[in-house]
Amino acid sequence: MSVKLSRQEIFEKLQDIMIAINEDDREKIESATESTRLVEDIGLASVGMLYLVIVLEESFQIKFDDVGTATFDTVGKVIDYIEAKLS
Amino acid sequence: MNKTIMEKSKKSRKRGYFLYDFGKITAVIPCLLWYRMKRLYASPEAKKKIKGGAILISNHSGNVDPIAIMTAVWYRRHHFIATKELFEGKLKRCMFEIFHCIEIDRDNVDMNTFRTIVDHLKGGKLVSMFPEGHMTHTEEVQKFKSGMVLMAFTAKKPIVPMYIKKRKSLWQRQVVVLGEPIDPADMLGKMPSLADMYKVAAYLHEQERALKAIADQH
Repeated sequence: MSVKLSRQEIFEKLQDIMIAINEDDREKIESATESTRLVEDIGLASVGMLYLVIVLEESFQIKFDDVGTATFDTVGKVIDYIEAKLS
Repeated sequence: MNKTIMEKSKKSRKRGYFLYDFGKITAVIPCLLWYRMKRLYASPEAKKKIKGGAILISNHSGNVDPIAIMTAVWYRRHHFIATKELFEGKLKRCMFEIFHCIEIDRDNVDMNTFRTIVDHLKGGKLVSMFPEGHMTHTEEVQKFKSGMVLMAFTAKKPIVPMYIKKRKSLWQRQVVVLGEPIDPADMLGKMPSLADMYKVAAYLHEQERALKAIADQH
């Protein structure tokens, strides 16, 4: 898929997805920045990370290769990965 | 590390079931004599044989629980999820690979391992695991991790709970209780939240405790 999305658009879409799967931490996710830590700040444990990746794969139509629950520590790292995959 | 696990896992998948079946047939008589298995069922529905892809979950109080599970559900090939630490050493790795165990890195569960498990389930295989995440050495059922719910939900396959009662002495018969299959996809919407998945894991934990209550009466 070759849809060109800006970094901000990816960030907003990522925020929406994180809210959908982790409604309990809506406020934290809404105020998140690229440096927000996924585990410590948003509370995405290992299952949460796997679920996030599954939903991201469907939403962005990309495949996350060699990615583990400890691969991404911040929101920015996820955006970097998606950006690289989309380009 | 994950890449290594993936490569080893691919190698393992290529391995056939000849040695697995040979080992199983060889162990039948010793296991029957050793356990003198007493199977109990939570309901008539639970008595039905497990067919197709499914996750079999159980409490984990001792080293030989996998053998008890294989003896109790003898008619299926089991694919146990085992931590990478258990694969350390050539002999252990060889044994775990013969028995088609799926290696998992608890500290960094990678998508390839997750996909392997989901592929197994979609391919009609039985994946067996201990959702407490470690050996407990106790009769109490400890809190379940929710990874199994995500696996079953993604593959759209049921989870079958089972309880293994700890034997007080070797002269006692081994009591196991099987519960009804529970399909997380029936309990969750199209895109459930993590909180919903935790609720399903908690529900499965309740079911496991109900199985324990049945086992305690015998």
